[in-house]
Amino acid sequence: MKKIFRYMFALLIVGAVTSLQSCEDYFDLEDNPNLVNDPPLRTLLTTTTQKTALNSYRVASITSYFVQYLASPTQGSSTDTYEIADYTSTWDALYLAMADIYDMKQKAQEEGAPDYVGVADVLMAYNLSLVNDMWGDAPYTEAFVNTTLTPSFNSAEDLYQETLRLLDEAVVELRKPESSVILDPVNDLIHRGDKGKWIKTAYALKARQLNKLNGTSSYAPQAVLNAVDSSYTSNADNADMAFFEERNPWAEVALDNENLLLGGWLSEQLIEHLNGTTFAVEDPRLPNIAEPDTSGNFVGTPNGTGNIGPANNTIRDESYISRNSPLTADDAPLTIISYPEVKMIEAEAALRAGETERAYIAYLDGIEASMELLEVAPAEANAYLSAPQVAVGAGALTLADIFREKYVITYLNPEAWNDARRFDYQYAGFTLPENAALPTFIRRVVYPSGETSKNPNTPEVTDLADPLWWDQ
Amino acid sequence: MKNSFTLLILLLLVCWAPDVLAQGSTVSGRVTGAEAGMPLPGVSVTVKGTTTGTTTDAEGNYEITVPGNDAVLVFRFLGYEAHEVQVGNQQQINVTLNTDTQQLGEVVVTALGITREKKAIGYASQEVQSEELTQNRQPNVLNAMQGKVAGVTISSTGGAPGQGSSIQIRGTNSIDPSRPNQPLFVIDGILMDNSTSTFGQGAELRGMSNRLADLNPNDIESINILRGGAATALYGLQGANGVVVITTKAGRQGEMRVNFTSTAGYEEVNKFPEIQDTYTQGYAGEYNPTSFWPSWGPTVAEARLLDPTHPAELYNHFEDAYESGHQFRNTLSFSGGGEALNFFTSISHLTHEGVLPFTDYQNISARLNADAKISDKINVGGNFNYINSGGNRYNADRFNESLSYWSPRWDVTDYRKPDGTMNTYGNNNPVYGAATNQLEDEVNRFIGGLTFGYKPTDWLNLTYRLGLDTYSDDRTRTAPGPRGLPDERVYEDNELGFVHEYTTRFRAINSTFIATLNSDFGENFSGTLRLGHDLYDRQAKSFGVIGEELAVYNYFRLSNARFLSTEEEEIEYRLMGIFAEASLDYKDFLFLTLTGRNDITSSLASSNRSFFYPSASISYIFSEHLDLPDVISQSKLRLSYAQMGKDALPYSISSGYAPYTTLPAGYTGVTRDELLGNRELKPEFTNTFEAGLEMSFLENRLGFDFTYYYSLSKDQILNIDVANTTGFRLAAINAGEMRNTGVELILNAAPVKTNDFTWDTKLVFSANRNKILEIPEELDEIVYAAQFGYVGSTVTMRLIEGEPYGNIYGSHWQRYYGPGEEEDPLFIDESRPVVIGENGFPVRAPLSSQKILGNSQPDWIGGFTNTLTYKTLSLTGLLDARVGQEKYNQMDNFFAAFGIAEYTENRNDTRVFEGVLADGTPNTKEVWLGQGIGPDGVNYGNGYYRNFYRGVSENFVEDASWVRLRSLTLSYSLPQNWFESIFVRNASVSLTGNNLWLSTDYKGFDPETSFSPSGSNVDGFSGFTYPAVRSYLFTLNVGF
Repeated sequence: MKKIFRYMFALLIVGAVTSLQSCEDYFDLEDNPNLVNDPPLRTLLTTTTQKTALNSYRVASITSYFVQYLASPTQGSSTDTYEIADYTSTWDALYLAMADIYDMKQKAQEEGAPDYVGVADVLMAYNLSLVNDMWGDAPYTEAFVNTTLTPSFNSAEDLYQETLRLLDEAVVELRKPESSVILDPVNDLIHRGDKGKWIKTAYALKARQLNKLNGTSSYAPQAVLNAVDSSYTSNADNADMAFFEERNPWAEVALDNENLLLGGWLSEQLIEHLNGTTFAVEDPRLPNIAEPDTSGNFVGTPNGTGNIGPANNTIRDESYISRNSPLTADDAPLTIISYPEVKMIEAEAALRAGETERAYIAYLDGIEASMELLEVAPAEANAYLSAPQVAVGAGALTLADIFREKYVITYLNPEAWNDARRFDYQYAGFTLPENAALPTFIRRVVYPSGETSKNPNTPEVTDLADPLWWDQ
Repeated sequence: MKNSFTLLILLLLVCWAPDVLAQGSTVSGRVTGAEAGMPLPGVSVTVKGTTTGTTTDAEGNYEITVPGNDAVLVFRFLGYEAHEVQVGNQQQINVTLNTDTQQLGEVVVTALGITREKKAIGYASQEVQSEELTQNRQPNVLNAMQGKVAGVTISSTGGAPGQGSSIQIRGTNSIDPSRPNQPLFVIDGILMDNSTSTFGQGAELRGMSNRLADLNPNDIESINILRGGAATALYGLQGANGVVVITTKAGRQGEMRVNFTSTAGYEEVNKFPEIQDTYTQGYAGEYNPTSFWPSWGPTVAEARLLDPTHPAELYNHFEDAYESGHQFRNTLSFSGGGEALNFFTSISHLTHEGVLPFTDYQNISARLNADAKISDKINVGGNFNYINSGGNRYNADRFNESLSYWSPRWDVTDYRKPDGTMNTYGNNNPVYGAATNQLEDEVNRFIGGLTFGYKPTDWLNLTYRLGLDTYSDDRTRTAPGPRGLPDERVYEDNELGFVHEYTTRFRAINSTFIATLNSDFGENFSGTLRLGHDLYDRQAKSFGVIGEELAVYNYFRLSNARFLSTEEEEIEYRLMGIFAEASLDYKDFLFLTLTGRNDITSSLASSNRSFFYPSASISYIFSEHLDLPDVISQSKLRLSYAQMGKDALPYSISSGYAPYTTLPAGYTGVTRDELLGNRELKPEFTNTFEAGLEMSFLENRLGFDFTYYYSLSKDQILNIDVANTTGFRLAAINAGEMRNTGVELILNAAPVKTNDFTWDTKLVFSANRNKILEIPEELDEIVYAAQFGYVGSTVTMRLIEGEPYGNIYGSHWQRYYGPGEEEDPLFIDESRPVVIGENGFPVRAPLSSQKILGNSQPDWIGGFTNTLTYKTLSLTGLLDARVGQEKYNQMDNFFAAFGIAEYTENRNDTRVFEGVLADGTPNTKEVWLGQGIGPDGVNYGNGYYRNFYRGVSENFVEDASWVRLRSLTLSYSLPQNWFESIFVRNASVSLTGNNLWLSTDYKGFDPETSFSPSGSNVDGFSGFTYPAVRSYLFTLNVGF
């Protein structure tokens, strides 16, 4: 027995000594094994390019109700009817994407990789513009940095200027000949490592941003046209992203709807815009956007009204987002900005600058490129292009024509709401949703509870009819 | 049962083993109990003023050597009054011990398994014995302690089989909401994990078990709850929220005993919300049998004119959807032993079906406890417990939410079509969801410990203990995909079918070494010094594979899923403590204990990793010191002070990048981790002061135990939710100060005590007051929880300086303030009139004004137990109360939005809202409450309830106080003489009712239930919870 205890004692001594010796190491569990500390740039590139495109979807899944591309199947749905709603998850997704973009840029600067700096600038400018155009003032200079838990808000106008600065910087960085790490064609989910396209995208976004100012005194159409000149020349240049865990999120909505988890119902406004009701010309893009109902008609749902027609909502007697559309199929890309949109920006800026010929050509090119993107047969496209409502001639081209066409081009793109506000919602046939919570069209959204509750610097906004600074 | 302390006393005796007995005479005798006259084994017999002692054997016999005729023998036994006899010239001394109602002389298990005499303890502690624990036949041990312990709040988060329970000792100690305020659980010296794992998608809301639920309550001998800092000091920082010390049954000398206990139970929901039964499906009074809107249609009578198939009365879909539940538990145990070896072993099986359809739980437990006395100097003990537990869990939040959307025009229990797909008019059928959307968990657990005791000399005792708690927790989550049948309706949450497989592997090792040194200093002093080393090493690794979109709709294999993704998590934590405890005893009436402990933790950076904290406590038995009136039997004063350190959650000091997981197969990315780590974190410290007075009167027929405590925590370590604009969701910070003060009172009385009939009564009462003294400078407030409410009625729980923990904030009706009158920014002045708008409806204050609508922490809690015993028949009732707490009723918010609440019956009334217009003049405008065009021709849109009422949080934060008959048990021991000629030794039967009566003003389910999983600090939300149950149980206990 004594033996046992001798052993035990010896063991204890050994245990105590060794534990003291290796004490420091033993308690060194500072690094979280679930995390990496210094990831390679390309792993941040995958994340930031996908997050950015998904943010375009997230914002559009709110704004598409405001511009009446979509309508809720449920009567009195809050987003449809301009009720104050809480978009915390969208706000958070935007900021968490920008944090990754910020880190990618910091790291790229440290490593001397201007390619990545430039891409980070473009992505940052885009995400920031999404925030800016929804909410106005927002944190930026104190955001993402680890210096404060309650970032102050920058003014909406300063943020706007920052997007332009970022886009200019992006071009400079992307034009630098050498980069310690080159853009990875696999991990760049938007332009597959093509620097030239990133430069074009920087210019396209710049054109979009500059054109947004038409309601302000600083609007300079020539600057818009200059940016357009350096941007896209075909649909092959489009900034889009088609890499999804399962499928395109719009296709996901459509698939859910097929399984009677209702959603993605097209608004009456959109359908009537396209099916000849509003403009007496049938748009051949309609069958490539939506599918007819069981009786062969395209039927939209009025916003705020919810499901109409025969009582049973299992009957497919209206039109929905379609998984057969080149824009919303399972493998369809999410579009950030496209060539047809740039052409419409050009048309608008040229028209405002008095260059009617250039405006008209851009207008027709934009429609044609949109037809191409939607895989409309050339004969049908040409028929539409030559319809009297469309082929108005350079002299008769109006802003209303451009906005009418751009409304179709920006289908399910967040930019549509910016246009609607710039155009004062003057689309033909556009009406307030039923039982709207506002007497006028919606102009902004309120800050999300996720921010107001944790950041005392959040300004108070209560009136959704209160326009943003560029929307006066 | 009470004499199971044999082992502990034996252990004590090992510490105080006799000096080598040179001379003296031998005395022997037999000790019996006063009541039954049965011999008492294991009684401690000591010679007063010496360390000489022995214990009685299985037949109650003892033999002891005494130094001389003037020696006094002291007989002590748990549950009995101590008895002293002058030896004189007797050689045979037979003693009968009287039972004791309150025992200052008893020994209790304190920190680290150290048994100490209760009188020497200078802090509050309260023990719960096995009879009390098994009385209400709760499968979860925590629930069995409800209402029985002062200073302890135990809340069952819901009535699901195996559902977790939360326990909080002396209020919330930590500002950090993400940090459970759960105490440390120690079972036979082994640190037992009591976490509630919510690993796996959707597990958060599925009422997962707290790991203590694995324990078989029938195995437990006693539970001692150490509440204050001085009590838990030796456990170090892990004991900062209190310690629950569980001792399981031990074998005892004597012939083998076999015990069989069988319980069968029936249960039902104890409280349903009131719902309206007038209005049917549709919107704005228009009938539509496929409408999403369950109850905004016309009256049933009106609808029946349009639709002859409409049932004559609406269904009560809430009552219909819930079923009755059942449970069965069988436990078989064997115990016995001889001089050298004692053992206790048990096996147990529990099956439990819940009231929510398709929820169940089962638990199989096997235990072996053994103690071996190898020599006078050496003993070895082992405790081994294997558990297999788990069941089908469902998301009660989702179930109740879907029930709120379900129209009572349709029978919700008719949930399946003949082809097996969901039967519905349009909305999701919640019963179909429960039937198909499943999460099943299975835990295989082993808890084992080995104890070695070595006593080389009479003044030195060494003990070493090694404990292991390890388990695997496997979870499978499945839902079938669509079958592609015409008109098939997919249950929303089932998506396109999925199968998720999750596994967690957990192991924790604790090792404790204690050296105990005893010494007497002269006549009046004796002292004990303990030195110890303690090590805890924990590792948990979880991983999961999520398979989405099934090719074969009901083939739940990962290989059948189109898309696979993964989830992983790994946590390691290590803690070492070196501690010392010195206790000094002056003349057996004054006791001083000093402790000190130095911890080294892996969760802080090396510069802040090691820290020391002390405690001191005094116990003064003034009844033994002073000459007090005879009416006072015993009295004791306690004083203690303790400092307690606390470290951070693992990995709070580091930041980094986590995998970004929403990429398609073949692509990888990383994203900023949600936590902003902080290398500068330093330990937080809590200072606790406690004073107590225990007295008993009239030969212990009446007694009380009063405690006051004050504790202040500084430099709290928090992982706070931060604005996502920082690029993080959480940040680790070191700031904040919180104070808790409170009182605890235990009253015992035996108003009637005759030979045949006794009436015992016990009252426990406690009240805690919390105040947040300081929060980090740059924050005005810390929001630690939020729950959705429609259009601006979302409520939050926030920490604000100067206010207590648990406040619920939300929107409120605007009250009228005249010119120059200032509005309190935090509290509603209910004496003021509500402001009525020009439209005739009450006005909601701007959403920027969020006021305190209530507090989730009770003003006081109390338990009142009465036991009436007549011969072998006994009746015990426990009244349990929790008063002065508010909760947010999300269910009522939905009920208002969907026209389900009973009060929405007045939807077609016209009325004048009481209040004043903006200018202070009384409102006189008549308005209609309904939807659409009213009788006055005005378009009221979505109506009062949707436009106004549902958007004001004030309407949904309710008084959640309750008083309940927690349990009522009638038990009967069958007469002994029935079994004289058969092998049965004893038998008893009992009938138990739990939650037989509940009194509360709360409109939802039983407000004890909680939205949050057990262990969460968020206790302010009780809406769509798994409802609590009323249960009836029959138990048979037979001993062989």
